[in-house]
Parts: sequence; C-alpha cells; structure tokens
Amino acid sequence: MPNIFPKNSNQAPLKVLIGLVLVILAVTAGVMYWATPKYTNVGYQPIQPIAYDHYLHVEQLGLDCRYCHFGVDRSAHAGVPTANTCMNCHSAILTDSPALAPLRHSYESGEPLPWVRIHKLPDYVYFNHAAHVNRGISCVSCHGEINLMGEVYQAESLSMTFCLDCHRNPAAHMRPLDQIYNLSWKPTDPAAQVQTNLALVHDWRINPPQSCSGCHR
Amino acid sequence: MKKKYFHPAPTIRELTGPQYWKSLDEAADTPEFRGWMEREFPAGASELDGVGRRQFLKLMGASFAFAGLGLTGCRQPEQRILPYSKQPEHLIPGVAAFYSTSQETPFDNIPLIVETHQARPTKLEGNPSFEAYAGTTDLFAQASILGLYDPDRATHHRDAKGQEMSRPQVLDLLDSVVKEFSANQGDGLAFLAEPSTSPSRSKMVAMLKKRFPKALWCEYTPVRLSASQKALKALTNQDLRPVYHFEKAERILCLEADFVQTEPGKLALTRAFSNKRKVKDSTEVDQMNRLYAVESTYTLTGGMADHRLRLPLSHLSSFTALLMVELLTQLGGSSEAISFLKPLAKDLEIHHDWVKACVADLLAHKNKSVVVAGHNAPFAVQQLTLWMNQLLGAIGTTVKYADVPALEQGIEVLAEKANSGKIKTLCILDGNPVYDAPANLSWKDLQAKIPQVIRYGYYFDETSEGAIHVASTHYLENWSDGRTWNGTIVPVQPIVQPLFEGVQPLEFLGRLAQDGGIDAYNFLKENFTSYSNGISFDDWLATGVLKGSEFKFVGPIFQWTDLARVLSEANFEVKSFDENSLEIRFVPSAQVWDGRYANNGWLQECPEPMTKLTWDNAILVSPKLAEKLQASSGIPLMPEHSVLNERGDQHPPIATFNRGKEEAFIGELMINGVLLKGPIHIQPGLPDFTVLIALGYGREQAGRVGDNVGFNAYLARKEGNMDFAFGSLKPTGALMTLANTQQHWSMEGRAIIREANVEEYAQHPEFTSHMCLESHAPANLGPDQKMPFTEVVKNIPRGNSAYETPPFKAPQQWGMVVDLSTCTGCNACVVACQSENNVPIVGKEQVARGREMHWIRLDRYFSSGGSVHELPDEPQVSFMTMMCQHCELAPCESVCPVNATVHDDQGLNVMAYNRCVGTRYCANNCPYKVRRFNFFDWNKRHIDHFYEGPMGPSGMPELHKMQKNPNVTVRMRGVMEKCTYCVQRIESAKIRQLAIAKGSGNIEVPDGVIKTACQQVCPSGAIVFGDVANAETQVSQQRASDRAYAVLGYLNIRPRTMYLSRLRNPNPKMPDYSKMPLSRVEYEAKSGHAASH
Repeated sequence: MPNIFPKNSNQAPLKVLIGLVLVILAVTAGVMYWATPKYTNVGYQPIQPIAYDHYLHVEQLGLDCRYCHFGVDRSAHAGVPTANTCMNCHSAILTDSPALAPLRHSYESGEPLPWVRIHKLPDYVYFNHAAHVNRGISCVSCHGEINLMGEVYQAESLSMTFCLDCHRNPAAHMRPLDQIYNLSWKPTDPAAQVQTNLALVHDWRINPPQSCSGCHR
Repeated sequence: MKKKYFHPAPTIRELTGPQYWKSLDEAADTPEFRGWMEREFPAGASELDGVGRRQFLKLMGASFAFAGLGLTGCRQPEQRILPYSKQPEHLIPGVAAFYSTSQETPFDNIPLIVETHQARPTKLEGNPSFEAYAGTTDLFAQASILGLYDPDRATHHRDAKGQEMSRPQVLDLLDSVVKEFSANQGDGLAFLAEPSTSPSRSKMVAMLKKRFPKALWCEYTPVRLSASQKALKALTNQDLRPVYHFEKAERILCLEADFVQTEPGKLALTRAFSNKRKVKDSTEVDQMNRLYAVESTYTLTGGMADHRLRLPLSHLSSFTALLMVELLTQLGGSSEAISFLKPLAKDLEIHHDWVKACVADLLAHKNKSVVVAGHNAPFAVQQLTLWMNQLLGAIGTTVKYADVPALEQGIEVLAEKANSGKIKTLCILDGNPVYDAPANLSWKDLQAKIPQVIRYGYYFDETSEGAIHVASTHYLENWSDGRTWNGTIVPVQPIVQPLFEGVQPLEFLGRLAQDGGIDAYNFLKENFTSYSNGISFDDWLATGVLKGSEFKFVGPIFQWTDLARVLSEANFEVKSFDENSLEIRFVPSAQVWDGRYANNGWLQECPEPMTKLTWDNAILVSPKLAEKLQASSGIPLMPEHSVLNERGDQHPPIATFNRGKEEAFIGELMINGVLLKGPIHIQPGLPDFTVLIALGYGREQAGRVGDNVGFNAYLARKEGNMDFAFGSLKPTGALMTLANTQQHWSMEGRAIIREANVEEYAQHPEFTSHMCLESHAPANLGPDQKMPFTEVVKNIPRGNSAYETPPFKAPQQWGMVVDLSTCTGCNACVVACQSENNVPIVGKEQVARGREMHWIRLDRYFSSGGSVHELPDEPQVSFMTMMCQHCELAPCESVCPVNATVHDDQGLNVMAYNRCVGTRYCANNCPYKVRRFNFFDWNKRHIDHFYEGPMGPSGMPELHKMQKNPNVTVRMRGVMEKCTYCVQRIESAKIRQLAIAKGSGNIEVPDGVIKTACQQVCPSGAIVFGDVANAETQVSQQRASDRAYAVLGYLNIRPRTMYLSRLRNPNPKMPDYSKMPLSRVEYEAKSGHAASH
C-alpha cells in the first residue's frame, strides 16, 4: 500500500507546535507593548533644556497656570511661555544661575528654547484647551497634579478611550469654574459633587461631542 | 441593514427623447457616452496604467521591503515646542489673526482680509467693510495666495548674463541709471509699466517725470479694461469711466459686457444684480430685474441673461446704431440723428423685432434701465451707449460717470521710439511684453535692440530673457495703496516679511525718483495725509477701507455734433461670414486671465465654466461651423449618432470622447498671415461663424506648472485687431487629448435642475415640488409627513427607510441652501474651497482620468428645448453647484465596511480618514458623485512621479506647506474625501461660543457667524448656511420656500443641502420668448403631463 502522506509530513506536528509557540510569543509581546502604558507613554519624562520645577513655581510660589500658559482659555493650544515671560522675574532673581543659561541665551539671541513635547496627541486630533477649561474641566483631568511634579511627566494615557470615557460621563470630572486652575482642589463630598455636576451638565447644556467631527477634521 | 437604491429604469422615450445634456456626446448618446455613464466610476479613474504589471509587482515588493525596515515608527518621535523668545503683540498660538489688505489688479483693487496663522498667510477673504463687494472675491484673488508660495517665483536678482546679483548691487545699478540720465533730463530713459490704481504710485510717477522730464512713461496690459474711458475721452474730452449701479436697475442691456467675469467692478455688479433677482415668494416676482445680453461669446453673463442674442463682435457697432435708431424712433427724438444713424445699420441681418421689443422694455422702465458696453466693445458702441443711457434717464441713477485719472501713453509710443534707437535704458515694471505685446511690434527683437533693459518682475519669464531681472515682492509683502472700481482707496499692507530677496515696487521706483531712495512705509504714510479725510492711518489699515474716498461723479456733457464727428470716424462695416471667412475673438482666459496666472495650479485645474476644459485652451467653434467644416474636410468633428438614438443610424464608434478623455481634432487657424494650431472644441451658443480663442496659454517660461500649457493666441493678435480679427480655420486629422471634466460625474437626465418663468411661478408657486418623482412617490416620511422640517432634522422619522441614523441630538443642526436663480457659475467657490480645505491639484493627465479632487464642482447643463437632432444653436445654460449634500440617510454610510464615513449628532456626514481603507464603495453608492478618492499621494508626490511609488521623490516643498490650513488634515493616499461643510469652521465657532457661554447654557452659535468657504466667497450670495433646527435662521427661511427642493429627493436620502429652483424673467413680447425655460420644455416633453399638476 503506497504511503498516503509523504515522509516529511512526520515533522508536521513539530512544525505546528513551533508555529504555535511563536504566535503565542508574538501575541504576548504585542499585548505587553500595546496594551500597557508603555505604548501610551504614561510616565514619559524627557530631559528638558532647563529643569523647570513646577512644584517650586506653582505650589511654593503660587504662580497661576495662566501666567505662563496664557493661551489656555482662548486658544486650542495652552502655549509654552516665551523667554521674556520667564525673564519678568529672572532678570532679577537667579541672574547668574548656570541652570538658566539657556534661558538668558534665548532672551538675548532671539532663538527659541527647544522644550521637549510631553503631551502629544496625533496630528489628526484637534484638541482644544479653551473648550475644556471654560466649561468646568480642570488641567488636572488630563495632565495630573502638575503642581506637585518636579519635572513634568505624562500622567494619563491620552488615548481615545481616555477622552471618550470623560465625554460620555462629564459629570464625573467637572468642577466649579473658579477651581479650574487649582490643581489640588478635591470635592469635600465626591458623591454630592457628582450630583451638583449633573445639574450643571443640564443647566450649562454640556454636550461633549462623541462623534468623529468633534476631534477629527 | 444595507440599503440599495433603484433608480427607475429609463423608458425608451427617456433614452431616445430630449434630455438635458452636458456635452454633445451626451446629446448624441454615443456608445462611448453610455459606456462611460454605466461604470460606477469614470472608466479611467480606477485603472492603473503607465505601469506594466511586472513593474507594478516590483514596486509593490519594494514598498513592502521598506515597510519592514522601518520599525522606528513604533516609538513616539521626540518633538520640540519652540516658543517665541519675545512674545509678539496680539498673537496667541493657535488663534488665527486677520489683517486687511487688497489685491492689486490693473483696474481694480479687491479689498481683502488675510487669515494668518502665526504670521503665515493661509487664506484670503473679501473685506466686508467694503460694502459694494460684500466681503467677496473672485477666483483670481482666492488663488493669488498660492502665488506667494510658488517655488518658481524669482527668488533673487540676476544680471543680463544670468549671474546672481545682491540687493546692494541692484541699488547701485539703479543709482547708476539716475546718474547717467540726470545730465540730459532723462532723454533715452523709458518705462513700461502695468496700469495701476495706486495713488502712491501716481505720485511716484509724477516725481519721476519731474526729475526726468524727457523720460518716457508708458503703460500696457494686454486685456484693456479702459476702452470706455478712451471712447468717452474722444467724445467729451473728459476722463470718464462709467460706474454702473445695478441695485437700481430693473432692465439691463449688456452689449458684449461680461459683468460676471471680466468687467472691472464685477463683484459689486454681480452682487447688486443678484440681489434684484432674489425672490422670497411668488408675490415678489415683479421686483425681479431682467437682463438682455448681446454677445459674440457665450459668457456667464449670457448664461444669466433672460434674452441672449448671438452677434459677431464686428457687427456690434452697427447693431448699436440700430438700437439707437429704434430708441430715437420710439422716443420721437431728433430726426437728424436718425437719418445719420439709419444707413449705418442697414446691412445688419438681425431680427428687428428683438431690438424693438427690447428697446420698448427699456423705455417702459425709464430711469430704472441701463445699457452696459463692455470693455471689448468698439468705441462707437461706448459712445452710443453714453447717449442711450442719457435718453433712458439712467445717468445719475443706474450709471454714474466717474472722473478718473487720465490714461498714460501706450506701448505703441514706446515701440516707435525704441525702433528709432532713441531708448538707451528701459525699465519694465511687471507685465510680460515679450509674451503678450501686440504681435506686430515684434517686441522680442525690439527689446533686444535696447542697450539696457531692467526688468522688475515676479517670475523669470519670457521678458526676463537677456534683461537684468530685479525680483519683485508679492502683494502680500508690499506697502502700497489702490482704488476699488468706484474709487474707494484701500491699503496694501504686508502680511509677511518678504520670503525671498524682493524689492517692493514703490522702493524700486523711489530709488530712481529720489536720491537715496524711499522707505515704502514712510512714503505711503506721508502720501496718505494727502487724501486721508481726517482719518488716521491706523484706522485706515484696521478697516481696510477709506470711506468717502470714491471718485467724484460728473454728468458728461456732449453735443450731438461731437457724437456725429466721432461716429463718422468709426467703422460700421458689416462683414458677412461663412465657413471660409471667420471672425476670430480673442478673450482673456477664465482661468489664467492674460497669462499672469499661468503658473497657478489651482487656476489651471479649475474647469473653464462653459467648456469645462482644464489645463488647455481650445479653438471654440459653433456646432454649425463644425458641421460645415466636417462636410468640407471630411474630418468627423461632430459626435456621431448611435443605435440608441431615435434616428437609429449606426456609425463606427468615433466620438469626441474616448473613455472620458476628450479627443479633439487639431485645427489650423490662419489669422492675418499667422498660423495657430490648437484643438477644436465645439461650444454651442456661439455666433455661427465666430471662433473663440482664449489668451494666456502657450507660455514658454512660466514655471513648472504653466510651461507649454495650451497654445499662444498672442502670436496672431495685432494692434487694431486686439479684440477680434478675421481668418479661416482648417481642421487636420491629428488628434489631441483634452482634460475635460464636463462628463465626469454626470447625473443623467432627471429633473435635477428645476426652472420656471416668473409668470408660471406667480400662478403656480408650487411648481418646484410638482416635478420629478417626488410628486408621485409615497410620502418619504410616512406618518410623519406633516412634521415641520425643523423637527424632522432632529428626530429623523424613519418613514419608509430601513436605515436608522444615530440620534441627531446636538442643539444645532447644519444645512445649506443654494439659490439657483443667482448662481452665475463663476468658479470662485471652487477655488475658495480648494484654498480652505487643502485640496490638492492632480495635473492634466489625472484630470483626464476623472481623478480631479475638487470638493465642490459646478455642473453646467445646456438645454436646447427641442430634439437633439436640431443643431443646438441657441441653448440655455443652467449652473448648479454640487458638493456633498450631507444626506440624513446617507447611502455612502450604509456601504462602508469600516464605519469610516458616519453621521455626527449635528447632522454632518463626516469622514474619519484614519478609518478609511479605500474600498471606494461609498463613492460608488453616492447618487451625487461628490466623493473624491486619493488615488495617489497627491500632496507628497510630485506631479510627474505619481506612478513611481516609493521609488519617486517624496515630500511636499516647504513653501507649499506654508499655505496649508493647519485646521484641516492633509489627506494621504488611499482615503476618500469630500465636502465637510467646513467642519473646522463650525467647530471653532462652537468652541468660541463655549468660551463666551462659560457657566451658562448660551451655547448656540448665532446665525450668520459660521460661513463656509464657498458661502463667504460667493459674489452673488447664492449660498446660505446655518442651523436648520431653528426656524428663525436665514437658511431655514429659505428652506421653507416653495421653491426649495432636494436633488434626487425621491431617493429618500434627505439631503441637508437644498436648492431653490431657478427663475427666469423673459419678456413675453420678445421674438425668442419661450413660455418655459428650455430645460423645462425638455422636461415636459419627457414626462409630458405637467399641465395636469
């Protein structure tokens, strides 16, 4: 009786096994990478040209966010301070600190300070700061407690799910308009605050877009 | 659940009977046309050729290999944020800043508002502070921003040998010119400039003339819009220009005057004309104006006209004499004049009834009627028009005569002097005389004879050859001023630092006029005080308009003897034409004007409104001439009738359209001993033996976009024959491909355009809804038929639809209405959309394949009212702007396998580019054919290297990047795109409103705040956009009109864009009166029972 299967089919189970192992490994590696904050860059904390300390400036000295990020309530972009904003104080304070040498160079030469971008959304996302901070969403919702960070790192995933979770349930994240820039503010009674927010959602007609056109154009 | 759409199967009668037709091929119903129509996409559009299969596989293999190499894409690239070192005033990154300026053209400065993003100009809009233009612009102004970022512009100065010169060297050169000619008062120095409206330049010229009294200052531009001024000067000895006021005109007669497209002040004229054509309901129909047009071409004005007469331009003088005789007869005017004029018109073979009825109508509206003579019209026409307007009581009401600066000497004076060797140094300011000067001057040789030629210009072009070239700046980099058509003074202020090393025009002249030169800003500011009327310089710049600075208007005074004198010198000869002796008309191109925009891709690719040709000009002939030429030469110029045709004769499949590519026979035009070769295109509606050729093509040194596009008509244009010449045409057997969009996206003959005469509308205001299948089909909304539309748009009753939309729960629902009564087909919206939405150009070859990317197109329908077998000599034309209709029950959405096109909650049909995998099902299922597919990386790849894939050069030129709107995604290869209703403008307006609302519920954007790009630019105000859930908005009020209809409404897809049917206002006493518009005649002939409704 002739052989139905050729001889090399004896190796088939082994090949299948090896193949399976490889697939499982690939899937595991994929999940390890793409389904974790590593992919979404949570914790990303690059070296900046100047080790600017938010804790010192905001928490200890009491600067308001908008002193530096002046566009936040008027523009899509919050804006990064220009050298002359920094020099408002640093022309008098720490005038020869070596750490501030790049700042002084920028101020004198007109060359921009090359800050490294931390919170990056893809180019096809048109996020708008003004739409959020004017309507009860604080900086802290996306950026974390920056006032307590020495050097800034990315605190949230900023993925599309992250956005949509809030857009579907804004009441869980809203706060009074006078507490937007107070990053340490916590509601005294979180449950009651949600109830208050639900009323605000109704009164202010909060209707965060959940359709594509809200963010993608 | 998927929806399938069944159009009713066409009956034999529909297939064979009269239809609307977009091209002669469609009218003749050739097999090629049917094949074209039956494909889901135009045939060429989805084919890959130019690349063999093997090569294709090779390329694909390579691109996979590259994909494997590049794993670097996994990590987020490090990106830098670069803040300013010192914060500029009034600048917030991410917020657009707007500045006023104006676009300089030789006869009219168009006031503009420039949108800038961090000091980078990206979009131009009309300045609404200038009320006459109502914040609109034409397509040239829209496209001029692309010129700023043209990589082919002159980026440096160079000497006669082509060596680069530095700015100090240029200044030294100018100083040496001054030195040379100071001694002899400028004898031997000459200037050739383009005309300009700028008061500052006039002052500069006066300074120059004072310094060099013997120098020669001449002005030339090939499309002269100053004919009326010259003619009136001869008659009245004053410098006058008519300024028409259509807002007061109820009857308008245009003699060769295309006020929609070419006349100076066209924006104001179009707006005023359209406002008198907007009819709210059937009680207002008697307020509508009436337009008569007499023309030798088929212009857009002719398209708007209620009565149109085809007349060779060379017969127009005689025709006007006839008009005058008729007017005098009906008024009982001077018999001396009648007996003088009557013989002048005797040879004219024209329907006297036409003239009689027209004049009677004008007279019946005395003081409210006006006669307009166009810039191409012969002098006698201009002069007679002045008198006619006087007799009609128009002067002071519907037309005013402005006291304008005198005209400078022309190019012929300069040519004569240069020929006698008296010119040592010639400065050419802008313009391009080597290319466009009258051919009899042989300017190229003449320029070579002049020892030193300094050419100041924007491009290294034909004129720069052998001359010293001083690079100019763009008008967005200049300080200057100018006047609009009615004389209002507007600023030209720089929006951006010169991108390259250019010299501003005032500085160039100033260096010659004054020792050490001038600073343009200071010069302008100083000169401003001479006309400021007490307004501060900063206020002037802020509003962009100097109110109260119009020309002074004067009543012209002349005697009949003056008129008789000038008329006796005029030529009233009526030459008779046949196929061997033709009238050739030279007209400025609707895309590149006189050739100055030849290197502008947006304009080259914008379809010419009537022929729908892109990237070419053609020899336009009437169907009758084509037939005669076909008979005499045996070359099949006319499309063949096919088996599907009623006549039933079968012919070999030769057609002018081969799979959407127009195959045109090349013709040889002989004009005054000059031979021109160009493709022959049949244009219905021309006078039988008048041939049209567009100027501005056939450039040899325009740049990478404009080189060798079309043929150069200037070669045959000579002094004395600047507007028309006589010649003959001989077709050859050679073929050439034209990129014609006229058949692309055709919608076959349904009641797409709906029209009526005002009488019918007054009697049957509901005629619109009684057309097409909607009048028979069961109610789309089922039991909710009675629901007001403001509720419908929010609740989306299912009606008969199986498809369920997401809830439209946003407080504002967007919609649009287009008024077909006022849409002129001027193309401004097409270019504005391109500019706003980063729409790429694709080049001639790709357009020929039907891959043009315009989000908005202008469908042009001809209708002849009769059977297709009669030659369509006198067709009517109807325009319809067509863009994504944002159907509530969108057919594109139900076929998308990846949910890339979906609805949002404010009723927009949106495209998520990132989801799109490019199946193109959506485009196939779109009944309006408004979706556009990125067959290639139009933005990243160079136009000549599309087929090379990753092997070809990649990346967008840095300069082009600067023009892109940062708020709109630049699309990549393989995704579908379409009109978004300018969603970026909607969203930014909503967010601005949120910032105002803060802790309140005041989140509705007020009506009129959001304007789409097409709406904002529309000179006739035909497009209205807004919230359709609110009955108070302008768009809702128009939607509620009895003239509102949805195109293909019977499909129950409920488009958010609706149209108002077109009204025509013909005169029942005219011989060419038709009881219904011709498209209606065809429609009724097809469906045959309208009377019963």
